[in-house]
Amino acid sequence: MIELKGVTRRFGDAVAVDDIDLTIETGEVCVLVGSSGCGKSTTLRMINRLLPRSSGDILVDGEDINKADPEALRLNMGYAIQSTGLFPHWTVARNIGVVPNLLKWPARKRDERVNELLTLLGLDPATDAIKYPHQLSGGQAQRVGVARALAGDPNILLMDEPFGALDAITRENLQQEMLRIQRQLNKTTVFVTHDIDEALKLATRIAVMDQGKIIQHDTPEAILRRPASAFVENLIGKGDRGLKLLALRTVGDLMERYPQPRKSEPCTDGLSEADSLRFALSVMVWQNSAELPVFNGAREEVGTVKREQLLQGGA
Amino acid sequence: MPSSTMPPNRVLLALALAALGLVWLLNLGVVQPNRIVSGTGYGLYGATGWGGAIIVSSLLLMVCVLAAKPVHKRFLGLAALLTAALMALPLLLEVFALRRLPSDSAYARIGIGAGFWCLAFFLALMLLEALGQIKASRRLQLSIVLLIVAGWWFCAGREGLSSLSLIREYTNRADQFSQALTVHLSLSLGAVAISAVLAFGLALAMVRREHWRRPLLGLVSFMQTIPSLALFGLLIAPLGALSAAFPVLQALGIRGIGWAPALLALIAYSLLPMVRNTYVALMEVPEAVVDAGRGMGMTEQQIFRQVKLPLALPVIIEGVRITTIQAIGLTAVAALIGAGGFGTFIFQGLGQAAMDLVLLGALPTVFLALAADAILSALRFQETSK
Repeated sequence: MIELKGVTRRFGDAVAVDDIDLTIETGEVCVLVGSSGCGKSTTLRMINRLLPRSSGDILVDGEDINKADPEALRLNMGYAIQSTGLFPHWTVARNIGVVPNLLKWPARKRDERVNELLTLLGLDPATDAIKYPHQLSGGQAQRVGVARALAGDPNILLMDEPFGALDAITRENLQQEMLRIQRQLNKTTVFVTHDIDEALKLATRIAVMDQGKIIQHDTPEAILRRPASAFVENLIGKGDRGLKLLALRTVGDLMERYPQPRKSEPCTDGLSEADSLRFALSVMVWQNSAELPVFNGAREEVGTVKREQLLQGGA
Repeated sequence: MPSSTMPPNRVLLALALAALGLVWLLNLGVVQPNRIVSGTGYGLYGATGWGGAIIVSSLLLMVCVLAAKPVHKRFLGLAALLTAALMALPLLLEVFALRRLPSDSAYARIGIGAGFWCLAFFLALMLLEALGQIKASRRLQLSIVLLIVAGWWFCAGREGLSSLSLIREYTNRADQFSQALTVHLSLSLGAVAISAVLAFGLALAMVRREHWRRPLLGLVSFMQTIPSLALFGLLIAPLGALSAAFPVLQALGIRGIGWAPALLALIAYSLLPMVRNTYVALMEVPEAVVDAGRGMGMTEQQIFRQVKLPLALPVIIEGVRITTIQAIGLTAVAALIGAGGFGTFIFQGLGQAAMDLVLLGALPTVFLALAADAILSALRFQETSK
């Protein structure tokens, strides 16, 4: 658990972070979202003491972060940034092994960990491990960046716009990977972004920041349903709020489940349980269908979802 | 551009034609009755007869043809041809000596003419172009240079070239030559080593304390602007006074003239390129990389040793390379204040109007500079590609 209590950061006369209180529960993904200069990165960098705070308290699991060495604190917090910050003169494997090396893990344990992470992030331990950062695509480099952040098995993960410089498709892929990895690892994560869609997709709770203050701190659904101010309303976009709400829930949440899975006929168009309701609606509009079958991972038909249902109870 | 072998190579064509013109127009060699009198010049035909003239001309014409025609693997052939030509080049002088040296005079000698220098220079340029076209690896380039040097070494040792003025000057001064080499190398490399250590400290100070940057860079830049002769001269008086005041210094050989002022001046000149490159190299390590290292829990010392220094090393080595070349050249001037080295021959030669003695000092200086350049470039390349 990370607690920020009355934390303020001044740069000269300017106040970058203004007396904020924020509690991030263990295992949740807290996304700090806001436009550039709102203090979200500053907040993140105060948590691992890359920036000192001007006043207030930051506690990690009840302990004041100023009590230990900053290096010891950071070794237990994975850190991934937008420009990856990969060491250009080291191979991918050595880059990922930085923190295990700093923690003085035995070489075998470290190498196993590196291979494990390469696999987890969808990279090939045989071919990608020996590459240098300049040989990687933007998406691969960012995967390595995330793998490096996870390498020391930290309890906390700090990510500063890690996918900000990637193209839309690569970003989408990496967000999916993030969700998958987070379901496996359950790291307490602080994630900074200016992209509200990314925030809605990844967050357990979102903290909307503006001019150094936290305007609203709530779940994605609550933020969409009850924006606390005109600023938040603007940020989430009034026009497609309904669609964004649909995007938060999966077909599995809303469908009518059969008592028992049925054998499916081959080549039936349909949805999968993990698809979002937004995707389901889009398919229905495109195919002009009022009802679609839902399949599970084993291609068994497990239920159906109706358009009426979706329109009434989806958002 | 170089991937297609179809278009004619204009560079090689122009170089070969220029070489052909110059080698026929200028004197290939000179016969001197003794070491000071300027002698009689001989052109390509006069010096080597029809045989030599035909071999040289047909070689250059062959280069023209290969440059113009899209022959398969022509650049590989050209590189081999030009390497062989450069290796055997001193044989032209040997033929010249055989044909034109009067056998009755013990003082007569042959000198190298402008035509020979031009031929050597243009052959080297063409070889460079051919090697560039075949994208020769560093290893291949180095082997070719060593081959050519070996060829010349072999030719220089032959009886036929003993009448070459340059070699006469050398045989008369073989002991002085090896001493000059030792002095030249230890002065220039010593200055580079000392200033490298100093410059590293200064650059670190500039990185850590931003407000030291301007005065320190100003100081080392100022030292660079003093004319080298003046600096050598200016150091004579204070060092002389110091040495007179402290007998300890005198016992160490530190006097107003000699190696001490030379070394000091060389260090002063070496500081600017070294400090500037080291500072820039350390400052240009991407901020994101340092931030990532710090954010992952590296200490400042770990960041410096494992990240900043290795990333800065190629640029630092580049600074050492520039400085070394500069120092080797400047050491020649230091001979004026009695520091020794190859400059001694240059100034003696100038004083006696014996140009080949000047060459005896100048050529090794150039060769040392080129060798330092090659070695440090290779080192930097290795660091960069890591």
